[in-house]
Amino acid sequence: MPKLFVDEREVTVPDGATILDAARSIDVPVPTLCWYPKLPVVGNCRICLVSVEGNPKLVPACATQAADGMKVTTESAAAVRSRQGVLSLLLERYPVEQIPEGSSRNEFEEYVRRYNVPTTRSRELPLRTGDERREDPIIQHDMSTCILCTRCVRACADIQVVGVLDVAHRGEFAQIVVGADGNPEHASCTWCGECVRVCPTGAIHDIIPMAVRAASGEMVERMRSRDMPSPDRTVRAVCPYCGVGCQIDLQVRDEKVIHVKSPWIEEETPNEGSTCVKGRFGTDFIQHRDRLKTPMIRRGWIRQGDTWSYDASRNGDERWGRRGGPWDLVAEEGVTAKRRPRTNPLRTNPTGPSTLGDPQDRVAIPDDWYEPFREATWEEAMSLTAQELTRIRDTYSPEALAVFQSAKCTNEENYLLQRLFRGGIGTNNVDHCTRLCHSSSVAAMQRAMNTSAASGSMREVEHESDVIFILGANTTESHPVFGAAIKRAVRRGATLIVCDPRRIELAARARIHLQAMPGTDVAVMNGMVHHILAMGLEAKEFIAERTHDFDRLRDAVQPYTPERAEQISGVPASLIRQAAEAYARGPRSSTLWAMGLSQHSTGTDIVASLLNLILVTGSIGRWGAAMIPIRGQNNVQGASDVGAIPMFYTDYQTVTSPEIRHKFTSTWGVPDERVPLTPGLKVTQIVGAGSPVRGMYIMGENPILSDPDVSHAEQWFRSLEFLAVHDLFLTETARYADVVLPGASFAEKDGTFVNTERRIQLTRKAIDPPGQARQDLDIVIELSNRIGLPTPFENAAQVMEEIAKVTPSWRGVSHARLDGTGGLQYPVDSPTHMGTAFLFDKGFPTEDGKARFVAVEFLPAAELPDDEFPFLLNTGRQMYHWHTGTMTRRSFALDARESTPTVELNPADALTLGVHEGEDVVVASRRAEVRIAVRLSKRVARRQVFIPMHYREAAANLLTNPVLDPYAHIPEFKVCAVSVKRAEPVQLDAGAQGRSVAVQGD
Amino acid sequence: MSHGPSASAGAIIRSGHHDDAPYEPVFVGEAKVRLDELVKRYPRKVGALLPALWMVQEARGWVSEAGMAEVAAQLDVTPAYVKGVVTFYTMYNQHPVGKYLIQVCTTTPCHVCGAEDVVRAFLDQTGCGELGVTSEDGRYTVIEVECLGACGFATPVMVNSDFLESVSADRVADVLGRYR
Repeated sequence: MPKLFVDEREVTVPDGATILDAARSIDVPVPTLCWYPKLPVVGNCRICLVSVEGNPKLVPACATQAADGMKVTTESAAAVRSRQGVLSLLLERYPVEQIPEGSSRNEFEEYVRRYNVPTTRSRELPLRTGDERREDPIIQHDMSTCILCTRCVRACADIQVVGVLDVAHRGEFAQIVVGADGNPEHASCTWCGECVRVCPTGAIHDIIPMAVRAASGEMVERMRSRDMPSPDRTVRAVCPYCGVGCQIDLQVRDEKVIHVKSPWIEEETPNEGSTCVKGRFGTDFIQHRDRLKTPMIRRGWIRQGDTWSYDASRNGDERWGRRGGPWDLVAEEGVTAKRRPRTNPLRTNPTGPSTLGDPQDRVAIPDDWYEPFREATWEEAMSLTAQELTRIRDTYSPEALAVFQSAKCTNEENYLLQRLFRGGIGTNNVDHCTRLCHSSSVAAMQRAMNTSAASGSMREVEHESDVIFILGANTTESHPVFGAAIKRAVRRGATLIVCDPRRIELAARARIHLQAMPGTDVAVMNGMVHHILAMGLEAKEFIAERTHDFDRLRDAVQPYTPERAEQISGVPASLIRQAAEAYARGPRSSTLWAMGLSQHSTGTDIVASLLNLILVTGSIGRWGAAMIPIRGQNNVQGASDVGAIPMFYTDYQTVTSPEIRHKFTSTWGVPDERVPLTPGLKVTQIVGAGSPVRGMYIMGENPILSDPDVSHAEQWFRSLEFLAVHDLFLTETARYADVVLPGASFAEKDGTFVNTERRIQLTRKAIDPPGQARQDLDIVIELSNRIGLPTPFENAAQVMEEIAKVTPSWRGVSHARLDGTGGLQYPVDSPTHMGTAFLFDKGFPTEDGKARFVAVEFLPAAELPDDEFPFLLNTGRQMYHWHTGTMTRRSFALDARESTPTVELNPADALTLGVHEGEDVVVASRRAEVRIAVRLSKRVARRQVFIPMHYREAAANLLTNPVLDPYAHIPEFKVCAVSVKRAEPVQLDAGAQGRSVAVQGD
Repeated sequence: MSHGPSASAGAIIRSGHHDDAPYEPVFVGEAKVRLDELVKRYPRKVGALLPALWMVQEARGWVSEAGMAEVAAQLDVTPAYVKGVVTFYTMYNQHPVGKYLIQVCTTTPCHVCGAEDVVRAFLDQTGCGELGVTSEDGRYTVIEVECLGACGFATPVMVNSDFLESVSADRVADVLGRYR
């Protein structure tokens, strides 16, 4: 612990700290250009040189270790002279005429001003050049202002672990290049914007679509971020996309979010200053012109006195019927020829401006979708909704009503909505999209160790784990910020084992890639456990002291030799053995998984077999040995935590216990018998034949596209007596509603989200909702009061007080505590408890504190390829889109990157089928067919195809098999049999085709 | 005559060459076997970067951007890193050169001994006319290089990988006669 003096102030720093660290720890501002926190030190800019007593030469503060007794002067005459020299040399090749008189535009220019360096150039040296990404829709370069600090190179290589950029050429010609040929596409760029964030001169900048020019107020299509007017204020929010829970800064000007930045890298946030392309460039959907601005009521609803009734003769157009409209069904759209831009449909060309004009309009809702509706007042919309919910409850029973809540909405909103349906209506038919993602993981974890969330944290995986085993999770695309952390862990030396049917980016970086056939994971896991037991590598003490039923497991895995596992899964037995040994030897092995395991008809079994592997090696309950089911949505964990699932109140307290029910009913002020003691229906039981549900309220979900059998789901929703949809846009589901309620986006509300590591974070309201759109919380509060459930809250903070009261593990949570922090990881037992970074170091939350092995047998997927349907269809996410595309397809940047639906096909299969990249094929299953363009990719194995789930015009879920897991009722999204055939070619020009993906001209 | 930049210094003569034909990979068959052997000599794959680039240059006569990308993929480094290496050295050609690349040393001792005249003679007799420009028949490209390490035998010249010593202007015709 050296003690030194910096500018005559005494400071003690840890061993190994530099002079710069010492100065920064006491807020002495030493200028830096090439140095950046957490990046490797290169010490090449020489602007941080400082004087050290007794040292004849200046030393670089960033690269000199602090030593005991050192006397450092940061602004000595010599140091200042040297800095002026450095800056004036850099200015020789800098466009000095652009520096505003007496002020500055960026970090570099600030130093120029701080040290009074004349902004004239004495010699006629050419400005710097470099690769410029001229046509890029998101990030561009103006290399005339580059000072070659190489921050961007290191940020890309060391934080994101991609390495798009580097310095090429020599001497005066040295410059930043993008890949080998200047095309970011060919250099694996992910458009995350890390380079934009670290650039000290704005040479690398993003493009702001549809910006308002500061001086004139005129609208321009694109603007360089560095030319943006300064924001009125900056508001800290939590990203609306995946479960990593990145904090982002929304810059607001004139009540519009004009730009998104990420927090400073040293702040304590889950993302440590990084974002992915969606978080940084994909939030402009909140200002898309499709946003719903007024409540709407389906034509035909008439109010007489206080009573609403439906009059079929006044619905606007008799052809539409009770619940139709002037649109094609999703299934009909699936088989139409796809309209696609002439350039860059498959991103094989350098990116360029779309020939279809503003991409924000490409999936805009056609005007005629609004025709079956009329604009209404909030009073009308609310009274109709309240009347119909009450009527259906009284006519049939409370069980005839159901609600889909939203993993996109805050904990407070979700809590109040389940409170409304349980306490107000009297039904447990409360569920949300967790049913379609991790419900099987939760079921398996509940069974084995009575838990429903991750045991550890993302940081421990990054910094501590020796082995990282990741299954069925394409993290670098679906959770890119966490994916980058895993890549950093691999570079640090962690052993990565990937089990995935596709050769995804992480698989290519892994020590071992287990490329199992989809749905055969049980065999692989059992084979691994078999081998671990055979080698005697199991954690004997852990098994004896902390688990039950080990004998059953041992018997069950006995037949699963690695050879047998190979026969079933196609993974070579030798790899299964290697993976088993590496994982068991750890010593700190973390386990991560996502939809690739859970979305199967045997999803619960698959996850159970993985949990056996975790328990048999004791890879849980220690720092560095984390169990993380990676959560898909920014608040899918939180929505489940606050009770938006049919069998639990908040904190997974069962609905079957009279005592627990009494706790809630007494808090809500309703009689005990109002809420049934039986679990309600799940998403996949609510939708479909035999469902007793006659009326629904849907908040922020689009089940028609996310249901495993779109055609049937669409018919089912049309058959409802009443449907209220509360959303940002007129989605494929909302178009069938009786009442459409315009809600608020993440940027328009206060509240909390829970990320994948149980971290509760506060998101703040940046702007008001557009038009008459209202806060979701207000809508639910008003509806609750109208239904007759007293709901006296005024804001989200008050709702959190009630949540904390009824939720044991959130007892210490309040908005005041969360404000301005990196959040709290629950359990938070008291207002002074600092949260829990990892769980189960002492015991599991079961009755006796022990976990339980659940022996499982391999069962094949419900529908496997045969002669008629010879391909196996896998579905999932892409980097640039999100779920049903409601948000991302309305983002300028994201849609510019990925604008059309594609099917990934192995080139060898394409050769057999005689199709080329970009041509259309017809992919058909037993249920439906879709027409879709081919993207050749060696990521998919032969005889397997992959279709992303985001596109209405080629909905993957028209094809998928709606068979359900018996425990969790999760559908088998990941395996079904399809045929692939060449489609009749059609003209792909911009003018052709029908309304399905209509472009609206302004 | 000016001491122009070497033909390989891509920073100055930026090749406008963009081959529209699909890229034919270099590392297939025997070349891939050779590369794998090379890789084994080094503790890390990237150690074989310079020899791998030489292989590309031998096969194609120059290292195209697509060639850099192929080497990057083979050695698990980024294309940008490979470009940084290629553009650092003068020995890798960043655009196509003639069948024979003639490198004439013009560093001080050779300069004193008349290297300028040798260069002039090569430029005239090959029909290249200018440094770094390939003759119309596609046969020759002449560049100046820094010291070839044979100052006692001025002027040393390299024609592809052949090393010739004591080349004078009047021997140029003779030299060219051997490389048709």
